[in-house]
Amino acid sequence: MSNETTPMATKEERSVAETDERTDLLSANSSGGEIAGKRLVVGYPGAEAPVIEDETIEVEPGTVTVLIGPNGSGKSTLLKTLARQLEPESGSVLLDGSDIHSIDAKEMAKKLGLLSQESTSPSSLTVEDLVYHGRYPHRGFFDRVTEDDQAAVNRAMELAGVSHLRTRELGSLSGGQRQLAWIAMVLAQETDILLLDEPTTFLDPHHQLEVMEIVERLRDESDITVVLVLHDIEQAARYADHVVALRDGTIQARGPPEDVLTEELLADVFRIEATVEQGAGWPKVTMQSPLHGEQQ
Amino acid sequence: MSENTQAPPEYRSRRAEKGRLAWARDRSLITLCLTSTGIVVLAGLVQVSLGAYSMSIGQAWQAVVDTDVLFDARWMLQFFLGENLMRTITGFEGETLPELATGTLVVWNIRLPRVLVATFVGMNLAVSGAIFQAVTRNELASPYILGVSSGAGLTILLSLVVFSGLAALLPLVASLGGAAAFLIVYAIAWKNGTSPVRLVLAGVIVSTVFGSLQTAMFFFADDIAVVQTAIAWTTGSLTGVGWEEVRMVLPWTVASVLLAILSSRQMNVLLLGEQTAKSLGVSVEKVRFSLSGIAVLAAAASIAVAGIVSFVGLIVPHVVRNVVGSNYKKLIIGCLFVGPALMVSADVGARLGMIAVTGSSSDQIPVGIVTGLIGGPYFLYLMQKKQELGEI
Repeated sequence: MSNETTPMATKEERSVAETDERTDLLSANSSGGEIAGKRLVVGYPGAEAPVIEDETIEVEPGTVTVLIGPNGSGKSTLLKTLARQLEPESGSVLLDGSDIHSIDAKEMAKKLGLLSQESTSPSSLTVEDLVYHGRYPHRGFFDRVTEDDQAAVNRAMELAGVSHLRTRELGSLSGGQRQLAWIAMVLAQETDILLLDEPTTFLDPHHQLEVMEIVERLRDESDITVVLVLHDIEQAARYADHVVALRDGTIQARGPPEDVLTEELLADVFRIEATVEQGAGWPKVTMQSPLHGEQQ
Repeated sequence: MSENTQAPPEYRSRRAEKGRLAWARDRSLITLCLTSTGIVVLAGLVQVSLGAYSMSIGQAWQAVVDTDVLFDARWMLQFFLGENLMRTITGFEGETLPELATGTLVVWNIRLPRVLVATFVGMNLAVSGAIFQAVTRNELASPYILGVSSGAGLTILLSLVVFSGLAALLPLVASLGGAAAFLIVYAIAWKNGTSPVRLVLAGVIVSTVFGSLQTAMFFFADDIAVVQTAIAWTTGSLTGVGWEEVRMVLPWTVASVLLAILSSRQMNVLLLGEQTAKSLGVSVEKVRFSLSGIAVLAAAASIAVAGIVSFVGLIVPHVVRNVVGSNYKKLIIGCLFVGPALMVSADVGARLGMIAVTGSSSDQIPVGIVTGLIGGPYFLYLMQKKQELGEI
């Protein structure tokens, strides 16, 4: 299950049509950040067994990696550990080669952005003010808003497609619009690495595709390293360069979607019967029925 | 930004033309501040006209703007910095400063400091409440949520009833008691870090125990005068405050207000939730503790001069938030005006209410009783009007 066959040709075909006019939105100076978790053991206080048991994950810079797995498989836990939201019991997380504990909080926030599932906000906050919060790590205690900040905020709102909502209050937006505003906030952070925790969950199909379109553009037009947790296997198949499948806190398979997303793996990891059609583009997954009976 | 000038108006950034003083152009905030200032001036005038030496509002105004004192730096320095500092700074060596008209003397010497103390206490409590509401992300938080009032209350009772030698140091003892209780709350809440819920729960624990001990102390007080002093301190009173209290509270007010304004961005980011704040590079624990420290400083300073005035720190941020929204820069600025408005008018209310009841202008009830009487109905009104209360 290694990833030696990166499907370069197909990915390029898909994106080449729309690349030209829009590239300027993505900051040119971003380079793919390197994030890796080495031999991570992660648990929650009070829980008996750790959620993640001795796993190592190395994310290839500049690519989109999707973590999939059933509820409770540890995919969000893994993501939060990479983002230093959770403390591993053992093991270490390396950001561009150095242990994240040796990095200052603000410095880290300039390199790595995280969109949490939590995302609560005062309802009277405007979209623009929210996106400006993404500039927090770039501003000193006494610094005022600079032109760099304004430019980054405008680019981020443009990329997330929320420019027309900039003066609207978050409380007046739909769930989908709000999620796009939050994505604009992490984009304004201008990090080399972007971690998105279930960015499409609870969204209607239109906004799910809006979110995934942003991910697609980050993949095709920038060097930003993206790691995201998805529940939707079909979306994982379509947008990922690499898929990492987890079950019970262990990585079951990793590699390009066409290698990982097989009927056997879906049965094994998700306990579903599905048909997978390999062919042009990305693997087409059609879910059939849940598998009953004892789990192996 | 060039793209902003081309964009249709509703797409245009309000930020583009914003600077550091952008809040000063917010119309609702300005209206709020001006209205509050008007209330402070009006209520303040009523306050200084009341008392044994009675005068009309007009006479009171004339006394307040009396140029003999207003433009005499020596008087001002004597009031705000104390006589010794005044003599050092100005080199004044006379026996006393030039004589003033009786009205002016009464207003400036005795009555105006009370209005000023009310103003500073209002500012402190409002800012303190606003900070604690950000720290706990709960709009029902007050300056006393982390045990400050119970700690102060207990030490007040202890020094009045048990260690009566400490009574002279009551302001200091009360604020130290409040700060100590806050530290105990923090220690109890700490378990690999804190969380808003743990802090609030620890606050409840400490308040319950200290509150009981405080009540027990009343039991041992054998003198009705001691009990009345204790009640005045634990409900908050401005009776008899003078320039000494102004000088006591002013530096702490300036410090905590400045720190609060400087930290407004941190508070805004805290409102986005702990995970988001962390991922933006905020050291959440450090920021939470420092912010709480600023809020405790403000609350303790107000306790030192006015006792434990309730509800001001709870209502004022709430009122301001309803008008200007949740941006903490505006919120804090608004609190600096609305807090004094509530505090000064409640103090006048306490005075007028007593006049209405007893007919005498020398009897006074603690101002804390009036703020409570205003605070309760305000929340009743909110309950009727709003569906959701609680989380910011």
